[in-house]
Amino acid sequence: MDLLAHLEAYAATADEASFSRAADRLGIAQPLLSRRIKTLEEHFGGLLFDRSRRQIATTELGVQLLPYARDVLDRAQRLRQVARSARRSRAHAVGVPADCAPAALARALRAGTEHGVTLGMHELPPAERVSGLTDGSLACALVRAAPEQASLRLPLGLASAPGPGDADGGSSRRAVHLEELRPRRGRAAGPAGPPPLLLLTEDRVPCFEDRLARAAARAGLPGSRIRPAGPAATALAETLAGRALLVCPEPFARQHGAHWAPLADRSLHRGYDVRAAPGRNGTGDPPAWLAAQLASAVGAVPARGGGPEPGPGGEDLPARLAACG
Amino acid sequence: MSAPAVHHPVYTGDDGTLLDVAEAIATEWAALGVRGSFLARNIDTGARLGFDADEPTPLASVVKVPLALVVLDRIASGELDPAHPVTVDPAGSSVGPTGLAAFRYPATVAVGDLLLQMLSVSDNAAADALLDLVPVPEVDARLRAWGCDGVRVRHRMNHLYECAAGAAGNDFSLALELAVRDERTGRHTIETLDPARANAGSAAALVRLLERVWRDEIAVPAATAELRRLMGHQVFTQRLASELRADTLRWSGKTGTFLHLRHEIGVVEADSGHRVAMAALTRADRRAGLAPDIDLAIGVAGREAFEVLRR
Repeated sequence: MDLLAHLEAYAATADEASFSRAADRLGIAQPLLSRRIKTLEEHFGGLLFDRSRRQIATTELGVQLLPYARDVLDRAQRLRQVARSARRSRAHAVGVPADCAPAALARALRAGTEHGVTLGMHELPPAERVSGLTDGSLACALVRAAPEQASLRLPLGLASAPGPGDADGGSSRRAVHLEELRPRRGRAAGPAGPPPLLLLTEDRVPCFEDRLARAAARAGLPGSRIRPAGPAATALAETLAGRALLVCPEPFARQHGAHWAPLADRSLHRGYDVRAAPGRNGTGDPPAWLAAQLASAVGAVPARGGGPEPGPGGEDLPARLAACG
Repeated sequence: MSAPAVHHPVYTGDDGTLLDVAEAIATEWAALGVRGSFLARNIDTGARLGFDADEPTPLASVVKVPLALVVLDRIASGELDPAHPVTVDPAGSSVGPTGLAAFRYPATVAVGDLLLQMLSVSDNAAADALLDLVPVPEVDARLRAWGCDGVRVRHRMNHLYECAAGAAGNDFSLALELAVRDERTGRHTIETLDPARANAGSAAALVRLLERVWRDEIAVPAATAELRRLMGHQVFTQRLASELRADTLRWSGKTGTFLHLRHEIGVVEADSGHRVAMAALTRADRRAGLAPDIDLAIGVAGREAFEVLRR
């Protein structure tokens, strides 16, 4: 028995002194209301209403129990209110990549307050941002997507040891083509060999790693040139010492005084979508103001239409599939 | 980027120095993502070095060497006329990037010149035209009769293309992807990459074959001499030949390239009289059609082996 619904029927009937008016007030059919009263009377073991006259009257038992019934209904109502306001004031957990610009994150937090939402920023690796949305621990997150499909794009490039022209910030921004990283023949390589390309945790997502591995192979680089960076600090140290190239976005490199040049292949850049947890009311769309704030926090720009298409260029001659020499 | 189980090569070497060189080569190959086998042997002293030399590997175009020997043996015995004209029509000939396989109009070429085409520019159409004259089972039977047990001929050259295109539908990168992936699982989608179903051989068997050719210990001297001459005409120099190019050295070889396979077998002969036969059979874990660093690493292996074995 739904006690609250039955008590509501009881209280309304007592107020209105009429089954039909009470049913109208509660927006239910009169037979349902009458049944509820009857069930409640069976439950309490006595009549609540005297139906013998034209105008129904509350019995002595009905009068006696009424204040208690109203009390239960009031408390239930208060419980619902508290739950609602608690839901409103709960911090919205937002999953963001590591190394976001702190000032931009602060702007996002303030914008949240203006919109009556308390935000909480959580730096998480890409896979955990996706799983957080599904398990409900995140309300909203920046998730990785292929750059040609993503709504936000963040150019990736290679950080390297600063050169003489970097101090004034006016260094050349010539894009790097992967095949330029092949060791030059006829020139003695350093004792450590050609520098490895280090991948930050943020870029260790299967779809990106696979794409980069394929592009690197096609450019003539062995797979062993690409390695996980491990802790960002040691990776940066290796990079600044000229022993490695760190795959990262420009703000990250600049922040640490490294030289940076973008990867020419834009299908190797980062793509992000701002995604909200699938809510109880269906839509998984995050508010637009939040999406804009998060984009600026990672330094991404809205993707223009007609993005780069990944994959090998050029036509496939059947002869490539034959034994060739 | 999941690292496959570390492979520990089985080394061959007659002394510590030779073993060291074999180990250095295997290490350098592994650093480039290359698996495979290598064997080099001084034809006159028998000193040798290498690793995993008994592992059967799909041969790709390297199979053209034993095929040429069988055809040359037929010519020497008078069963086949080297001047016999063969018309190769592109409408029905085998696919390939060089030679008659790349021709757009029918051409008539003598059997002797088909051999030159096949060994100098690795012409698939020339090879299959020769297999029309000496069918696959007869080539295989002849090799067995000669005791070349480690070399098996099972199909025509065009079968390589048919299997790759059948699995990947003319998509080169997909075929390459399948080849590299199947190397990890050991189940080959492209049949001609399965050593049990492809034309296959081991480095040891191929080096043994080269030794017998250079010492006239197989077929007849007329056939082996012509094979040595034709192998000296190979135009590709990016692999074993790359670090053995000097006027004082002579390289006679045959490459084999198919998807992720990069092979070469051959003999280097020096003015000093030293002769070293070698076979490098490799499989790359890289989805790249061109990998000059791998070719170069094979070339470096050939030079290291030659220099340590000529002593």
